[in-house]
Amino acid sequence: MRKRGRKNLRILRELVRIRFQGLMMYRLGFFGPFFVDGSLFVIQLLVFGAVYSNVERIGTWGQGEMILFIGTFSLINAVGMVFYFFGIVQLPEKIRGGGLDLYLTKPVSPLLRLTFEKINPGSIPLLLMSLVIIGYGIRRAEIMVNAGGIFLYLGWVALMMVLHYDMMVLIRCVCFFLVTNARLEQLEEAGLDLCMKLPGIAFYGIYRVIFCFLLPYGLMATLPVQCILGEMGWRTALEGCAVAAAFTGLTAFVWKQGLRRYNSASS
Amino acid sequence: MKTNLLSVYRKYREVAYLHLKAQIAWRADVIFNMLFTISKILFAYLLWGMVFRQKSLVAGFTFHGMLSYYILSSFLSQLEMSNGISGEICARIRNGTFTNYMLLPLSAQGYFIAMEVGVVLFYLSFDFLAAVVWIFLFRIRFVFTSDPLIMACASGMVLLGLLFMVQLNFYLGILTLKYENIDTFLMIKSNLAALVTGTIVPLALFPETVVNLMRLLPFYYVTYLPSMLFTGRCQEEALPGLLVLAGWCLCLQLVIAFTWKSYRKKYDGVGI
Repeated sequence: MRKRGRKNLRILRELVRIRFQGLMMYRLGFFGPFFVDGSLFVIQLLVFGAVYSNVERIGTWGQGEMILFIGTFSLINAVGMVFYFFGIVQLPEKIRGGGLDLYLTKPVSPLLRLTFEKINPGSIPLLLMSLVIIGYGIRRAEIMVNAGGIFLYLGWVALMMVLHYDMMVLIRCVCFFLVTNARLEQLEEAGLDLCMKLPGIAFYGIYRVIFCFLLPYGLMATLPVQCILGEMGWRTALEGCAVAAAFTGLTAFVWKQGLRRYNSASS
Repeated sequence: MKTNLLSVYRKYREVAYLHLKAQIAWRADVIFNMLFTISKILFAYLLWGMVFRQKSLVAGFTFHGMLSYYILSSFLSQLEMSNGISGEICARIRNGTFTNYMLLPLSAQGYFIAMEVGVVLFYLSFDFLAAVVWIFLFRIRFVFTSDPLIMACASGMVLLGLLFMVQLNFYLGILTLKYENIDTFLMIKSNLAALVTGTIVPLALFPETVVNLMRLLPFYYVTYLPSMLFTGRCQEEALPGLLVLAGWCLCLQLVIAFTWKSYRKKYDGVGI
């Protein structure tokens, strides 16, 4: 187990080195993802600034809480952009074109290599920007945070990152079984777009079932924020953990079944 | 002279008809585009539903007035499908197949305008149907103006707005003739356009100074003002709005003509 972990770390280091060499050839596009996603979250801040100049609170959340929510979503997105987004996003093409063969013949876990082979250091400023937004949100909401609170918040952020990763992989694994996953990617885009603008506290009834359990984007930034605000009950916490565990299990199962079904270029 | 104009009209009509027919090949796209307009309405329904539980009026909007605004702005933003033009021009210049548009016995910009006409005509009825379905599904007491003059002004503004967006996207696309990669810039433009056209939230929510600044920009008149006019608001801005947007279209056309003339010589037809 320890030997395997050390081997995986060595592979990761090598993947990062190769990726840096590749990126240096296209310096102009290096910070592209930062500018694109950065502008998206700055626009979110402006939009909610405008909304809050007309209303005191949305549900139980004031402007500080909403800024914290936007910052947390930005952080989850930023980690994805730096580490795994550009790797996982090419999975459907690899399955359809038979490019996955190369990954299966290497003595490395194919998912590990796919996940980390397109690390994007150009998105690192997004991480810093997210932390600044979070800090501003905490200050604006006048939340008293202690080390335990920060630790719990980071724990929830980490769990929600896993959920975000699961969703990305799961949606793309559909290509093992169907010719295209274009509609599911459209659904993913629409779900993410909606849930990065609207905190989970806004969902009720059927909307809660859809956006918290079936397409759980509504949980991703909401749970860490609820945790740091002290608004999270045991039931919500258990639901969050159960959803993350269920989707991780489902993703692992679908990935394994997909690999069994994979027939090289004829998939 | 008359025959000449007629033959030019026929050529562009043929392009529009061709693209209208091409949409039929992508039936699933049409259905899913219709279905996904719900995300904008759902966002408005849930967000403003929470807000209007505490207040009955926000920036002059009632709950149903606000949802009517979103129905209209979502309908208009769905109709605006020129985003792909800049990407298409950029890709074709980069792989050297932009020559196809240069060899056609039509102006390249005219071709893209005719293409947009064909696509918009095809989607018009489907987007209208989606808007009607959402009105019934979310039980919206739809607010709509009854003044025919305002309706005419707003419709004219919608047409000019669509033309302006085609011009803008064509202009951004031909910038690839000079600058190698404009992809990042195009994505940032899309993000910004959603804000300044008022499709995320009505611009009336912003401070007065910001709204006054926005009035100087063309984007204010593309989706936001027509939606406000159709819901019976900002009526005093109808005629000035039409003139300002027409002025912007004219200015941009001059910029396009100048840019096209100087940059087209840089195209060598072998890609970048």
